[in-house]
Amino acid sequence: MTAVIMDGIVLGLQFGILGVGLTLVYGLGGVLNLAHGQMAVAGAMVISRLTDGGMGTFLAVAIGIVAVGLLGMVIDLTLMKAVYGEEGEGRTLLGLLLMLGVGFIIDGVLEWRYPIEALTLRVAGDPIDILGVSMRRGSLVASAIILLVGALLVAFFRLTTFGRATRSVIQDENGARLVGVNPSVVRTSIFALSGILGGIVAVTRAMTTPVGSTDGIELTIFALIVAVVGGLGSVSGAFLAGILLGIVSTVSAFYIGSYITTIILLVVCAVTIVIRPSGLLGVRS
Amino acid sequence: MSEPLLKLDGLCAGYLGQDVVHDVSLSVAEGEAVAVIGSNGAGKTTMLRAVCGLMPPSRGSVYFDGTDIAGDKAHRVSRSGVVYVPAERHLFPQMSVKENLILGAYPKRPPSSQLDQVFDLFPRLKERESQHAGTMSGGEQQMLAVGRALMAAPRVLMLDEPTTGLSPLLASEAYNALAELRNAGLTILVAEQQVPLALGLADRGYVLDHGRIGLTGTADDLRNDPGVRKAYLGV
Ligand SMILES: Nc1ncnc2c1ncn2[C@@H]1O[C@H](COP(=O)(O)OP(=O)(O)OP(=O)(O)O)[C@@H](O)[C@H]1O
Ligand SMILES: [Mg+2]
Repeated sequence: MTAVIMDGIVLGLQFGILGVGLTLVYGLGGVLNLAHGQMAVAGAMVISRLTDGGMGTFLAVAIGIVAVGLLGMVIDLTLMKAVYGEEGEGRTLLGLLLMLGVGFIIDGVLEWRYPIEALTLRVAGDPIDILGVSMRRGSLVASAIILLVGALLVAFFRLTTFGRATRSVIQDENGARLVGVNPSVVRTSIFALSGILGGIVAVTRAMTTPVGSTDGIELTIFALIVAVVGGLGSVSGAFLAGILLGIVSTVSAFYIGSYITTIILLVVCAVTIVIRPSGLLGVRS
Repeated sequence: MSEPLLKLDGLCAGYLGQDVVHDVSLSVAEGEAVAVIGSNGAGKTTMLRAVCGLMPPSRGSVYFDGTDIAGDKAHRVSRSGVVYVPAERHLFPQMSVKENLILGAYPKRPPSSQLDQVFDLFPRLKERESQHAGTMSGGEQQMLAVGRALMAAPRVLMLDEPTTGLSPLLASEAYNALAELRNAGLTILVAEQQVPLALGLADRGYVLDHGRIGLTGTADDLRNDPGVRKAYLGV
C-alpha cells in the first residue's frame, strides 16, 4: 500500500504541474488551453528528435522546453489577440475552440510525422529505499525537479513584483490596470511560462514512462481535471489536487484496474463541481 | 495664469456608440480639489472612466500636464500620475492589505517609508496589515483603495463616490482623510452625489446633469445656488 501511495505522489506531482500550466492561463484571461498536453508532447518530440540526431540530453531538453514556451508565446500574440478582444462568454468559447483547433493540429502533425515516436529519459542508478519502498531513480529525480519548480513558482508569485502583478490580474483585472499593470504583457509572459511548465511535464514524465507522440490529448484531459478540482486560477490548488488525484489514480489502478482510472478521475471532478464549484482553493467564486 | 494640471476639453463618452457624457470641459489646477456633483446616472462614473483609460472617450481631449492622454490605456494613465479610485474599489481580494499597497506602487517596489506614510494616514490599515482585502469592512476597503492609489505617488487623485456603501460617520471620516491629503498639497478630482461632503472638501465644483456640465463655480457659489440647494441639498 505504501508503495502504491508513493507512486501516486510521483504521478500526482506531474499532474500538479500539468494543472498549474492550464490554470494560470485560464485564471488570467479565461482561456481554457485544450492544447496544453499536445504542446507538452510536441516538446517531448523535439527532444526525442534532437537526441536521436546525436545532441546531448541536457541541451536537447533545454531546447525542447524553451520551444514549448516560445510556442505558447506565439499563440498568445497571434490567435489569442482575437480572443482577448472579446468579453465574458464569447471570450471563453472562442479561446476554447481555437485552442481545441491548435491541439488537433499538433496531434495531427505528430501522428502523421512521428506515429511511433516516444521520448524516454533514462536516469542511471539503482533504486533507492524510501520508507521501505524501493523507488526508481527516474521517479525520484522527476519528483525532485517538480518540487523545485513548484518552490520556484511559489517564490515567484509571492515575492517578485511581476509575480504579484500576475496574481493581481487574476484577482481583479481592472484593479490591476489601475495600479499600472499591463494585462497583455502579463498574459503573454504567463502563456510562455505555461508552455515551459508543459515542457517540464513532458521531461519529468519521460523519466518515469515513455511519452508517446499521441499522448497529448490524455495529458490535456488530466490537466483539465486537475485544474477544475484544484480551483481554476489557483496554483496551490492545482498542486494539491494533482497529488490527491495522483494517489486516487494509482490506488484505483491497483485495486480495480488501470482501465478505470480516467473514469474515476472524471467522477471526482464531477463531484467537486457539484459540491465545491470553485474547486479546492478556487480564486473565483 | 498657469496651465491647469488636468484639463478635459470637449470630452464625450458612452456605451455602444451612444454617448452619455457630452462635451464635458473642466480643469483642475495643481494643488486644487475639484468636485463633480450630479445625481444617479448623470454620467460621473463614465466621465472618470474615460479619463483614466478604463474606457476610450469617443471624442475630445484630456490634457495632463500639457500632454493629451485621451485614449491611453489605463495602466499608462496610472503610471503617468493620474490615479483613479473607483467606487467599486477593485482591490485584490485574496491579497493582504500590505500586498495591495505594494502593488499600488507598481512597477516600483516601494520603500517601507512610503508604506509608513499611508499607515500614518490610515492607522487602521497598519493594524490589518496581513488581513486579506476581501475580508475587510467597507470602510476599511475604502481606506485601502485610497491608500493603494497613494502608493503610486499620484499627481492627480481621481475618486468616484468614495462614500459608496459607507455609514454617514465613515463617509465624513473618508472626507476628513481626503481633506488632509488636499492640505498636504495633493490635487484631487472627486465625483460625488453626497453634495455637502464634496463641497466641503472642494475649492471649486461642476454640476453634471444628464451628461453635460450645467453649472460651475467655487464651492461657496454652488452651496448658495438656489438650483443646487433645491436639487442636491434638499433645502
Ligand atoms: N456599462 C454600461 N452600458 C450601458 N450603459 C451604461 C453603462 N454604464 C452606465 N451606463 C449608462 O450611462 C449613464 C451614466 O451612468 P454613470 O454610471 O456614468 O452615472 P453616474 O453619474 O456615475 O451615476 P451614479 O451616481 O448612480 O453612479 C446612465 O444612464 C447609465 O445607465
Ligand atoms: Mg457612478
